[in-house]
Amino acid sequence: MTPTLTQYLVISLLQIVVVMGFVMTLVPLLTFAERKVIGYVQVRLGATRVAGGLWGAQRGRTHQSRTFTGGLNGFMWWLGRWPVISIFRGLPMFIADALKLLTKEDIVPIEADKAVFVLSPALAMVAAFTVFAAIGFAPGALFYFPAKFPYLGGLPFYGFLTDLNVGLLFILGVASVGVYGIVLGAWASNSKYPLLGGLRSAAQIVSYEVPLTLSLLVPVVLTGSLNFNEMSTRMATDIPVNGLVGIGRTLLMFVGFFVYTTCGFAETNRTPFDLAEAENELVAGFHTEYSGMKFSFFFLSEYASMITVSALASAFFLGGHYLLPFGLQPTWNHFFQNSPSAFLAWTCTPSILWFLLKIFFLLFVFLWVRATVPRYRYDQLMDVGWKFLIPYTLVMFVIAALLRYAA
Amino acid sequence: MEQLLIKLGQYMFVIFGLLAVGGAGVLIFSKSAVHSVIGFLFSMICVAGCFLSLQAEFLGVAQLLVYAGGIVVLFLFVVMLVELTKYQEKGIFQTQTKFAIPLVGLGLLAFAGVFRTALFGASTNEALTLQPGLVGATENLGNAQAVSRGLFANFILPFEILSVILLVALVGAIVLAKSERV
Repeated sequence: MTPTLTQYLVISLLQIVVVMGFVMTLVPLLTFAERKVIGYVQVRLGATRVAGGLWGAQRGRTHQSRTFTGGLNGFMWWLGRWPVISIFRGLPMFIADALKLLTKEDIVPIEADKAVFVLSPALAMVAAFTVFAAIGFAPGALFYFPAKFPYLGGLPFYGFLTDLNVGLLFILGVASVGVYGIVLGAWASNSKYPLLGGLRSAAQIVSYEVPLTLSLLVPVVLTGSLNFNEMSTRMATDIPVNGLVGIGRTLLMFVGFFVYTTCGFAETNRTPFDLAEAENELVAGFHTEYSGMKFSFFFLSEYASMITVSALASAFFLGGHYLLPFGLQPTWNHFFQNSPSAFLAWTCTPSILWFLLKIFFLLFVFLWVRATVPRYRYDQLMDVGWKFLIPYTLVMFVIAALLRYAA
Repeated sequence: MEQLLIKLGQYMFVIFGLLAVGGAGVLIFSKSAVHSVIGFLFSMICVAGCFLSLQAEFLGVAQLLVYAGGIVVLFLFVVMLVELTKYQEKGIFQTQTKFAIPLVGLGLLAFAGVFRTALFGASTNEALTLQPGLVGATENLGNAQAVSRGLFANFILPFEILSVILLVALVGAIVLAKSERV
């Protein structure tokens, strides 16, 4: 059953709302997770309560439970008697964080270039969020609307927004526009530290874009496609079960995963590559002069690009919506496809659940690395990019071409 | 539905084209160099939109990736770093003129020979390659496949010559930049 144009547009709109809602809830949750994960890694508790009232800090000697946040804290503390839930005692923190960002005073420096100053956070945000148009969360239809559903009955609801032929290139191209947000924002602030941060960031992102793109060329060469869904499916399943080519592909995907993730860390300006905002050298780097909602746009775009990098890494190297990473799924299927156990048979089929779990795990890795690995020096950063990653990715590219030729 | 989409695509082409011209206007007429680069960026993104509205998605995305994502960043980098007033006339070209002119003439002749066939030949679809066995039709292929077949099979000679031109530009840039430190 093919939808008419208006039905098609309505479904697309619904899909956009779902995907944007997913990203927009994941980002504040991620900031909460960051507090907790780094807290536990450093043997602290992390966020456990919300400070202050809804309308400014608490004044006088009001009893805790009389204020709204006091009651909320008490309730969360009471919930935390159970072991796992106790981790989430500080969960209202993420709402408080969002409210704080929304209600903060918006300061524009007098000497700033006003138009560019306003434009650049928007540019960063648009680039980081447009990317999700080409990311396939599930290859086929996620579900079908039930027949009785008004107007849309029987139509499929896809797990992707668009099925672009050149989806991967679209993601890379749009994401590369995001660097302007940082560089132009740094320049428009008309201040020394932001400018230094912006210049560092421009050089860093231009340098690391090369190995990033080259490491993504490995799946392109192995699958012979640029379509996101086709690539992720074929990287996971279209591999000979045994033989040298299969082993070579698995090894290549294993190495490629680490190379890609390293470049992804640099592209998203995360520790250990967060020289653009190195706080012990540059105050806050490129967003020193930003406050309020404009700052939170940079913040949101950084976390959204973390989700993008995680999605790409899990789709192309960790097996996407299948269970096993690095192209091990066909071997697994070979043994368990006809297994009498329903659960084992189910692990052989694709599911959006695996994909989301992999994304969450990689997001955890982002936080984990931030808590453990110290920041690089600038010359070390450039050495890693140009002297190690680019040669590695070129060698990987040649090996991938040989494997493609042999297969 | 198809008709409506095609109609929409045509209007989008005009809109993006006008926006690109507007961006180019900002590039030329704005007083600040960084504003010029922003105009350039806007223009490049709109040209990518033009390609997309013509259903040439590979070209559109490549435009975005190469120009908006790579080249304009370097422009911005240079504009922010370099004081343009510092440069003066340097006599580095005078010594090489007598070798350069015959070489340039020779190159021009070779290029003209190839591009005369490409532009004014019996057919613009006539393949220019040393291995006619590789030549095939591009009509029924996907976007990326059609471009790659055109570049690496049907029109490999003009493609290689263009890369030589880019190499010349690269060497020229290095000569200009390294003149003092050698």
